[in-house]
Amino acid sequence: MSEIERAHVVVDARDNVTTLLDEGIDLCRLQGGLKVAPGIAFGHKAALRAIAEGEAVIKYGVAIGRATRAIGQGDHVHVHNCV
Amino acid sequence: MRVSGLPIHFSGFARSDGRVGVRNYLVVLSSVALVNRWAELVASAVPEARVVAGEFMRGLRSPDALRQERASEALVTHPNVGACLVLCHDAASARLWRKYLADCGRPHAVLALMDQAGMEAAVGAGRQILSRLDDVRRTVERVPCPIGALTLALECGGSDPTSALVANPAIGLVVDALIGAGGGAIVSETVEFVGAEEPVRDRCPSAHLAARLLGAIAAAEERMEEDGERYRGVNPTAENIEAGLTTLIEKSMGAVAKTGSRPFAGLLQFGETPATPGLYLMDTPFFSPCSITGMVAAGAQITMFGLGVFNPSGNPLAPTIKVCGNPMTAARWRDAIDVDLSEVLAQRLSLDQAAQRLGESLVETAAGRETQAERWREGQFIVPKTLTPL
Repeated sequence: MSEIERAHVVVDARDNVTTLLDEGIDLCRLQGGLKVAPGIAFGHKAALRAIAEGEAVIKYGVAIGRATRAIGQGDHVHVHNCV
Repeated sequence: MRVSGLPIHFSGFARSDGRVGVRNYLVVLSSVALVNRWAELVASAVPEARVVAGEFMRGLRSPDALRQERASEALVTHPNVGACLVLCHDAASARLWRKYLADCGRPHAVLALMDQAGMEAAVGAGRQILSRLDDVRRTVERVPCPIGALTLALECGGSDPTSALVANPAIGLVVDALIGAGGGAIVSETVEFVGAEEPVRDRCPSAHLAARLLGAIAAAEERMEEDGERYRGVNPTAENIEAGLTTLIEKSMGAVAKTGSRPFAGLLQFGETPATPGLYLMDTPFFSPCSITGMVAAGAQITMFGLGVFNPSGNPLAPTIKVCGNPMTAARWRDAIDVDLSEVLAQRLSLDQAAQRLGESLVETAAGRETQAERWREGQFIVPKTLTPL
């Protein structure tokens, strides 16, 4: 485990979000190398790739909601941009 | 396929009805709660004997009476049962049990308390027969059996954020692999599917099945609302949102994840045996000792139980594999958890590797490795009732 990269889990290969597994909210990189926005808490989601407005947010391989605005890669995905 | 290497065969018990057991238990069934104590006293003489005693009662109304009768019959002829002694209160019920068990294909005996002359004689008679059944049972040996003959009961309890991210998805991957090998799985606790209707619909091969599954989920939600509980609309709660859950589907999928990704094959009533392999939803209450009773009565040989915080629930007839992704729970309950997947959180183990480890544990358990719940003799039998008994 690297000290500068955040632990996270992609539940299903089809997912376009990953869930953060640590408290390292000041860090800017996910394990595996992807950049991530700072400030995302344990249990919250980050976009694995850009998600267009209206596009499905996929976790567990299923659409758990839709993006209410464009979401950039590495952005926090939550109630402010997904319903 | 993300879990590889499930063997084609495992070492199990081939029963005369074509089913396959992972254990060869010696069982004492108390067919009515009046003789629960007699069953305990009889079973205490043979260390390996397991008591099946519930709140089996008289005076149940017709649908409940039928459910109880079918469940007790199914439990005592479960593929994990090598021999059984059925204890009854009266001679008439003993006659019915003898008739039912005549073709059960395993050593068995039936005794009625009313045929005995005093408690001491009753306990002595029971112990003598039980010890004989034990001797016969021990002559049965394990043989290679297809892994696809296994049906898993899927359960989760003490759920926390790690259940949704580690234990349940890992169970789901093993379920996908087992069904790929020709096996089956049963999930229950219908109310937990409220909110996951769309993903369930997407996994139904026919509109007819989708209507049946969604109908059962809607009926469970309706019953919840009758008690004044509104689920949709207040979920996810403010606390859930703070924890990172964005939508109700996401919350519900935490539990549904343990079913994997294969299509649903059907809907089962409490204790109903699936007709084909594949994934089934059984319509049961959410209390795990009750829902597990239903899935085991249906013939599931092993329970996969995802944990966040600890939950002791098990079943005396189906080994329960306790799977945990929470490092604090795994450390505190080391002597009661079978598979510790908490390294996923620290990123020392991928979800695929976690599922691989769980798949290996499944095969070892099927071939005879004792689970923690077996070691602690955990387990309850609870059959749901819908009407006030007479």
